[in-house]
Amino acid sequence: MDPTTLIPTPDAIPVHWGWFHILLLVTFTLHILLMNIMLGTVFIAAANHFTRDGAGSPPTKAVAEKLPFTIAFAVNFGVAPLLFVQVLYGHLIYTSSILMGTFWLSIIGILIAAYYLAYIYKYKYLQLEKGRALLTGSICIMLLFIAFLFSNNLTLMLHPESWPRYFDSPGGLLLNLADPTIWPRYLHFIISAIAVGGMSIALFFTYKKHTGDPEAAPWIKYGCKWFAYATFINFGIGAWFLGSLPRGLVSMHTAAGVFFVIFLICGIIAAVFAALLALKERVMPALYSLLTAIVLMILARDMLRTLYLQPWFSRSELTVQASYSPLLVFLLFFIGGMALIGWMLKITFQNTDNQEVQS
Amino acid sequence: MNYPVWQLDFFGGGFLIAAIAVFHVYISHFAVGGGLFLVLTEMKAYRDEDNAILEYVRKHAQFFLLVTMVAGGITGVGIWFTIALLNPAATSVLIHTFVFGWAAEWVFFVIEIVALFIYYYSFGKMQRKYHLIIGWIYFGAAWMSLFIINGIIDFMLTPGSWIENQNFWSGFFNPTFWPALAFRTFFALLIAGLFGFVTATWIKKETLRVSMTRFAALWLLIPFVLFIFSAYWYKAALPADIQEMLFERMPAMTPYISGFIWISPLLVLGGLLLAIRMPRAVTRPIALTMLIIGLLYMGCFEFMREGGRKPYIIYDHMYSNSIFTNDMEQINQQGLLANAKWIKNKSITDDNRLETGRELYNVLCLSCHAVGGPMHGIEKLTAGFTPSGLDAMISGMDIFHPYMPPYAGTDEERYALAYYIAYGLNGRLDPETTVPVSKKRIAVPTFNNDESTHVLLAWNTLGMHTISDTYEHWSLQAPGNNVYAQLILRGETPEVVTDEVVLNYRVESAFSTPADHVHFWDSSAILFGNKLEPNTGLSGSKMQGTMTQEDGFFLADQIPVVPYTKDGYDPYPIVTIEAKSADGTLLATTKVAAPVSTEMGCYQCHGGQWRVENKAGFTQTTARNILAVHDRMSGTQLLAQAEAGKPQRCQSCHSGQATETDGSSAPLNLSASMHGFHSAFLKGQGAESCSLCHPSSPTGATQSLRGIHNEIGLDCTSCHGSIEEHAMSLLKGEADKGQPKASALAQYLQPYVVTPPDEITARQPWVNQPDCLNCHLEFEAPESDSTFNQWTASAEELYSNRTDESGSLFCAACHSSPHGIYPAANGYGEQVHTIQPLQYQGNTLPIGSNFNCAVCHTVEMEDEMHHPNMLREFRNQ
Repeated sequence: MDPTTLIPTPDAIPVHWGWFHILLLVTFTLHILLMNIMLGTVFIAAANHFTRDGAGSPPTKAVAEKLPFTIAFAVNFGVAPLLFVQVLYGHLIYTSSILMGTFWLSIIGILIAAYYLAYIYKYKYLQLEKGRALLTGSICIMLLFIAFLFSNNLTLMLHPESWPRYFDSPGGLLLNLADPTIWPRYLHFIISAIAVGGMSIALFFTYKKHTGDPEAAPWIKYGCKWFAYATFINFGIGAWFLGSLPRGLVSMHTAAGVFFVIFLICGIIAAVFAALLALKERVMPALYSLLTAIVLMILARDMLRTLYLQPWFSRSELTVQASYSPLLVFLLFFIGGMALIGWMLKITFQNTDNQEVQS
Repeated sequence: MNYPVWQLDFFGGGFLIAAIAVFHVYISHFAVGGGLFLVLTEMKAYRDEDNAILEYVRKHAQFFLLVTMVAGGITGVGIWFTIALLNPAATSVLIHTFVFGWAAEWVFFVIEIVALFIYYYSFGKMQRKYHLIIGWIYFGAAWMSLFIINGIIDFMLTPGSWIENQNFWSGFFNPTFWPALAFRTFFALLIAGLFGFVTATWIKKETLRVSMTRFAALWLLIPFVLFIFSAYWYKAALPADIQEMLFERMPAMTPYISGFIWISPLLVLGGLLLAIRMPRAVTRPIALTMLIIGLLYMGCFEFMREGGRKPYIIYDHMYSNSIFTNDMEQINQQGLLANAKWIKNKSITDDNRLETGRELYNVLCLSCHAVGGPMHGIEKLTAGFTPSGLDAMISGMDIFHPYMPPYAGTDEERYALAYYIAYGLNGRLDPETTVPVSKKRIAVPTFNNDESTHVLLAWNTLGMHTISDTYEHWSLQAPGNNVYAQLILRGETPEVVTDEVVLNYRVESAFSTPADHVHFWDSSAILFGNKLEPNTGLSGSKMQGTMTQEDGFFLADQIPVVPYTKDGYDPYPIVTIEAKSADGTLLATTKVAAPVSTEMGCYQCHGGQWRVENKAGFTQTTARNILAVHDRMSGTQLLAQAEAGKPQRCQSCHSGQATETDGSSAPLNLSASMHGFHSAFLKGQGAESCSLCHPSSPTGATQSLRGIHNEIGLDCTSCHGSIEEHAMSLLKGEADKGQPKASALAQYLQPYVVTPPDEITARQPWVNQPDCLNCHLEFEAPESDSTFNQWTASAEELYSNRTDESGSLFCAACHSSPHGIYPAANGYGEQVHTIQPLQYQGNTLPIGSNFNCAVCHTVEMEDEMHHPNMLREFRNQ
């Protein structure tokens, strides 16, 4: 069966695709950062509890306090890129979602469970003791599973040639496991998340140190180590990922291929810097390098998607039924909303007696 | 059609979306109304300088945060995931049309989260003024989320001018936007009251508990008044066709509409009840019950809103099964297989029919009908249908079930779909198209051309005659065929003799006890107001007796023959007739079949099966189901009445009277009603549609169309028209009497032969029939083989009432019964249908044909005194 015949006809878009592309990249960057903090910190917290027989430590306490927030914002900032990816690639991702429908929908139930467990972890932190390891371990496994399903869907949508499997399995139980990139890709993201988790712990305790916490210093080092070692491991995983890409995919004859290589090399350099700076516990320079690396890696990922889709689809094929006024209204709401959020945060910091939230 | 279908089966039919949506919608409305509840309750605490109230607000805020942000927020994403999985095409339209609406809604979602976190975690730590502002910001953002989602949801119900201009703002600010916004806003406020009950009744301190419970009651009761007004406004803003569909034409909506109506006062009463000072042990369960009642209330509303949209998912734009309204014509022409992307089999063969049917089901039906599941499970809904029956049903399902989309695809695909459902899921098969029947042997009475003094001719006027043996439940007709006879004294000038002779009849002994086979005599008093002795017909005729002397003929009226003997099904009982003089001398003997059939294939759509020998008869299942369908479609209580011992007679309502005694329009006459209704499902067919209900199939169990017309290749439609045309002529007859229902039924039909539809000639059943002389002009060979639309002007002109030019001999005396015109034959042989030609002429031809005047005339005849063109060789020998 010719997979081309299976690709649904996309719907028209209201403004030039470039708008959606930019919105997708920007909101995805925010989402991946928040998701990395969420997953990375809970992973480190779980590792910490397991190695200490459930005992707590300042970083686990911090994670317990913040985890519901990071989940809330990771999910919330996932909504926007999922919206824009549907606008640009809806016909592909709806299809891949249906092929793995049972797994895909299970995300909702698992997420609600993980979210409530996170609140239990937060509110019952002191009472839990040994249960903390089990609890954080459970949350971690749930979130890892969700991430795995995302990896599957976002790659399955790139592979129409594997879609005819639907005809033998229409019950929404397909995954993209035959894709040799799936495991290195998934691990690459997960290890990145752990690295970012380490960095956020380092950052948090840097802040604590600035506010006069005398016990913060070792935990800055702790976070930096997690970040650096995870990043070093990720060089290996990244190489595996790169090696697993189909031969001939990254062609230097295409702009996307050239940009992929440029973004990737620059991204690696930035990541090397970030890891080395972290080992020296120079947290803020490391953070900037990390953010640079993340942006470059996201751009490389985007180029890779373009390369994968070359035989099947290009964004420029989308029909535009121009209607710019809703975009304008959205931008106004967006700017106004961000200003309002900024104002609320300012008011909160200025007018709250005790900036530490109660746990 | 554009996308693969997640083959859910048990959880199909929208189960997942219903399960997630009602839950989410409830919480998300709480997230809006509850925001205002928090701020205003906090203000009350400041106003009253009451820290206890403030502490209550803080706790309520925590509850609010955990419920709305986790369960509410994630199930919101869940709905999005679910609709994209179950109806990706519609989701894609909503996403692409309203992307910046969704994006704006996301901005408000971010504001909500930030504001709510700050609100709760800064409780008691932030200056009151700013804390309240944060609360107001939360409520404003939550309400704006509602504002935006409301626009998109109501777009699906009433897209308004968006259908023409595809403009974002036309779709968003659609005709029901403002009333729906008001409705949902007040709904959100009263839900805040319901959740307020839960937290308030959990307060330990009694005085505070009572005061806060009363405060929550105000939140329920005050918005409730405005809510009811907005509900009326919302209803009034709905286009007339949606209102009609929702409130009049969708029986499935009744429980939700009733639920909504009944729960309304229940909520008010519950709110008042909770305002009474009671112990916690009492108020807590009531509060929780009220919360569940509120959920049911919301569920009823959402089901109604979704129901009003049927058969569309986006009104006038996309059907519930994701097919764009604009694509219907192309799909009907080219087929679904050619147009759907995610179908493996691109053509139908005998080997893949079942599998392809399943694929078609996935595309066309699964979005609303689960397989083996709770949501509109298809097996139960289609349990009564054979593949052909279901095929017919699907072809016209949108007409009488307007909440169903019209079928999309070719006829061949439709049958494959029906085959999958009826056979693949329910294990039902079509009846055998060829039913084995054996020839019936008759001892033909003798006739001596030289010595016999009399010729006895006999026939019946119901040549194709059916009864439904469903008398426990209902009656279409009482058992009873009639036998006419004319006794002719042979001679130079033969005469029809009626005086001083007695004609006795006797039904074949095997048929002499019909009461052993059908339950008519148990119900005759109720059905016909006449308690009959077993084996006695409505006119008093028994299985043997003396024929009554009429004007020029003898009649045995309504002999209660049924097509059953102890050996099985036989639709041709033989009646022996003897003519005797006054002194008892036998003058003549003959035999004639009195046809009767129970070969009506109602079970193909109405469940059950053939009752007898797998070829005829009604089971009680079929009989019951037919009444049940009538009850559902027409709001009657026939089944209950029948089950209570009062079987129904169709004609007692479908009498043909134009108006009831009170002046209202009466039900259509039975013929117009039956054909008018059923033709919607049998369009585009030939005579095969007739034989689904009448015993006309040339390969069926009865083969009633057995005369010469059948032999030379004519069929039912040649004289009666296609079922649509047949129905239209009957409906027009009713419409002319001022029956609005007749026009309503006729609007779905199109004639083939006569166009435009106005040209159809109205007719009354059993009075205006095809006239033989339409084709046989001047008794000559016909030039046409069809005669639809030209009817006999009155009953006198009917073939069965017509006589020859002498006025004494009935046409049927020499040509036999309608549908059995000599020379007749079918699977039962020719003997049974041509006894008299065989007896008097030694052939099967009409009496007197081939110059055989000598049957009656003892001298050679030169004049064509019976009718012109009769003195010649028979044309179709």
